[in-house]
Amino acid sequence: MPRRRDVLRGGVALALGGAGAAWALEPPSGGIVLTISGQVRNPNDGAHAQFDMPMLERLPQTSFSTHTPWYSQARQFTGPLLRDVLRAAGAHGSVLRARALNDYRVDIPFEDPQRYDIIIARLLDGAPMPVRDRGPLFVVYPFDAVPELRNAVYYSRSAWQLRTIEVK
Amino acid sequence: MNAARPATAARQPRRPWLVLIGVVLALVLAGVVLLQVQQLGRLSVALHTGSEVRAAQLHRQEVEYLQLREEWQRALDPTLKQDLRALSLRYDIWVSRVALLREDTAARRTAMSIRRDLDDTLRRADDFVRRADPLMAPELPPVQRRAALAGLQPELMALGEDMRELSLAAAHLTTEEQTRRNLLLSRYTRIAIGMTALLALMVLAFAALSLRQMRQLQRRHDALEALTADLRIARRAAEAHSRAKSHFLADMSHEIRTPFQGLLGMLGMLRDTGLDARQIDYLRTATESADHLLAVLNDILDMSQLEAGRLQLSPAPVTLRHLLQDVESLMRPQAHARHLALHVDADPAVPERARLDATRVKQVLFNLLSNAIKFSQRGTVELALRCESTDGGERLQFAVTDTGPGMDVETVARLFERFERGPQQQPGAPRGSGLGLEISRSLARLMGGDLEVSSEPGRGSRFSFSVPLEPVLGSEAAAAAPRELEVGPPPQRLDVLVAEDHAVNRQVLAALLDSLGHRAHFVPGGREAIAAVQRQRFDLVLMDLHMPDIDGIEATRRIRALPERAAATAPIVALTADAFTDTRERCLVAGMNNFLGKPVSRERLGALLRQLFGSSAGSDAAAAAEPLPQRLDTAPSEVAPLLDAQAVARTVELLSAARYANVLGDFLDQAPATAQRLRKAVRDAQPLELRVHAHATRGAALNLGLAALAATAEGLQNGAAHLPAHEVARLVQRFEDLIVATRHAAEQAGLLPAAAVLPSAR
Repeated sequence: MPRRRDVLRGGVALALGGAGAAWALEPPSGGIVLTISGQVRNPNDGAHAQFDMPMLERLPQTSFSTHTPWYSQARQFTGPLLRDVLRAAGAHGSVLRARALNDYRVDIPFEDPQRYDIIIARLLDGAPMPVRDRGPLFVVYPFDAVPELRNAVYYSRSAWQLRTIEVK
Repeated sequence: MNAARPATAARQPRRPWLVLIGVVLALVLAGVVLLQVQQLGRLSVALHTGSEVRAAQLHRQEVEYLQLREEWQRALDPTLKQDLRALSLRYDIWVSRVALLREDTAARRTAMSIRRDLDDTLRRADDFVRRADPLMAPELPPVQRRAALAGLQPELMALGEDMRELSLAAAHLTTEEQTRRNLLLSRYTRIAIGMTALLALMVLAFAALSLRQMRQLQRRHDALEALTADLRIARRAAEAHSRAKSHFLADMSHEIRTPFQGLLGMLGMLRDTGLDARQIDYLRTATESADHLLAVLNDILDMSQLEAGRLQLSPAPVTLRHLLQDVESLMRPQAHARHLALHVDADPAVPERARLDATRVKQVLFNLLSNAIKFSQRGTVELALRCESTDGGERLQFAVTDTGPGMDVETVARLFERFERGPQQQPGAPRGSGLGLEISRSLARLMGGDLEVSSEPGRGSRFSFSVPLEPVLGSEAAAAAPRELEVGPPPQRLDVLVAEDHAVNRQVLAALLDSLGHRAHFVPGGREAIAAVQRQRFDLVLMDLHMPDIDGIEATRRIRALPERAAATAPIVALTADAFTDTRERCLVAGMNNFLGKPVSRERLGALLRQLFGSSAGSDAAAAAEPLPQRLDTAPSEVAPLLDAQAVARTVELLSAARYANVLGDFLDQAPATAQRLRKAVRDAQPLELRVHAHATRGAALNLGLAALAATAEGLQNGAAHLPAHEVARLVQRFEDLIVATRHAAEQAGLLPAAAVLPSAR
């Protein structure tokens, strides 16, 4: 029987798009910075998947530099890919409702993180971001790499001071 | 002219129109492209830095401020538990918002455009932050913090006015911008509509012009079609007319020929009625005129037949030398009369025989030679025959050269046109129908050859008549060897039934048959002819084709169907002036044996009778011809006499002594050449060729009664394939020896004059 469960879990992991994310999410040890709620397969706190900063740091990191409407120059953003975070949480659905500290809300289609290398930036030019600097987490689309992203729709989806993602 | 002029006039002003339309179209299209590029530029700017986003950011600024103010108020309430974390978060969020205005972003630029004193506002906010930051320290006791917060609250409230104003102004700015953009969009749209309308107009104009052009093309096409149809009808009509004319000519010449026969016949008979010199002179002139008229008639008939495509050639093996001799003997008196020398010459390479229609070839040569004689005042007229090799194979070329006045290029060009006569025609010279050259050329082309002329004024003319050379096959060579025999009485008295409705023709035929020693019986029509053959046995029936009641063809059909064998098998010969080949075929199909064209001459009638009865078993002379080969077979060739007196006598009787001498001379003249050919065949080991030559020579020698030569030739013919070569060579040598001996014997016997002057074709 245990064998069968392993196989089953592997299948689910494969169906979600890759191996390595299928383990049960560890419980957060420090201050929670990101909560993924809604349709989550790997919750670690009741129905939610909670992340503290070290958990996000342990995921594969991506770094790119891009212009945004909020800074005069191109800035370098570093953090895990949104799709890796979602996979770690076992999220599945069609819409991600991102919510910021100031109650800003925006819906991101589930396909966006699959199609683009969206990161949940935790470092700005290599330094952590305080709330005053639109931190601690910042959804960043690769605006410079993909020209079709340079419009108000994607700018509005680039939520800063990110706090929760509700998977629907 | 009338049709062409409006077309060109219409085309002239259309070209600038087309150019104008093209230029306007190009300009409009360029304008559209420019407009759209501009629009795209503006759109992408709006897309990248949306004013809505900027306005939302500024608006958000006020919201964050208000939330901070609320949280601040809550922190001042002593009844509530102080929540530093919530306050600190709100505070930080608001600070992050203010920081956004400090950064050089689109939001700051928008804010700057609303409030020039933005930096003053920011400085006030900074002052506030500097003083508020210490209040957020967690180690500060709550009561003390509350007091400090209360102290700083008026300053926080003071910032509210600035925040509010930024938010409102941003909203207004957005509205303005949106309105401006909408206005611009509507202007662009209006321009685009205008341009599209213009474009549509141009396209319509272009379509209209194209339509007009197509209509014009269609009209021109229709006109051409109509013209073509008219031409087709006209051509058909012309062809029909031409056919009708040809038929008319054929009918007319037929109608004229019938009474003509009477005229010529009677003129011939008149001569023998003891006339005085003056009457004979008149008669001669009358006969010449009649002959000329007949020639013209013949020309017209030929022409109409050629035009109707009804003239058919009947090629047969012909001895070319004889053909030239015939032509020469006929033309020599004419040349002589005009004091001209006539040379007839054949190239040695020309083969002895060829397959061609001798009558038609002679007709062309007579025409060319009489023209040459007619137009030359002095000098020589020459007829030269030679072989030429062309791409289309071997050809015989008859060239008639004269020393006449010649012709200029213009005359040569018109030469073959109908009724065109040479301009320098001599007065008093016999006039032709003007059809001669046209007929000659048509005949030449019908034979697969051509007639060409080259001439220069003062240099004489050269007419070159060429026909394809069709070699005579071995089997035909033997048949062609005996010369066509001429006038001589057939060997027996015949009972001839003549069915003829025309009284004059009956008289002529009676005289002709009588002069040939035959008995003529006359009936006026086909019905009577059928009755007559049943009543009495006739050797020959001459049947006129055109008779009332029952015509010749129908009568023949009925005679052939009679139960009495003797009556049903009587030879029937058609008499008609209708010389068309299909008429001839109809006669033969009906069961006739032969065909005699009108006017009937003594020569033609004689030849026909010889052809039908010359070798009949009833003839004594003919009977003697048959046993000859048997006699030669039994006798060794060495012992055969040089001359077979009986055969000689028979041939002399048929030909007349002079003619016999002529033919004999020819044969002996030609014999050495024959011997050469035989020798060559032996040398080249060509038994077939040897046999063919030997056979032909034997036939001719037998006819002439040259028994020894005939026997030697026969020996060669029989032994060609199996005798040893030295035996064959010995026979050829003997043949050569015999030529000399035979000539000598003939001269001795008085058959050949010792110094015979023969018209030489060599």
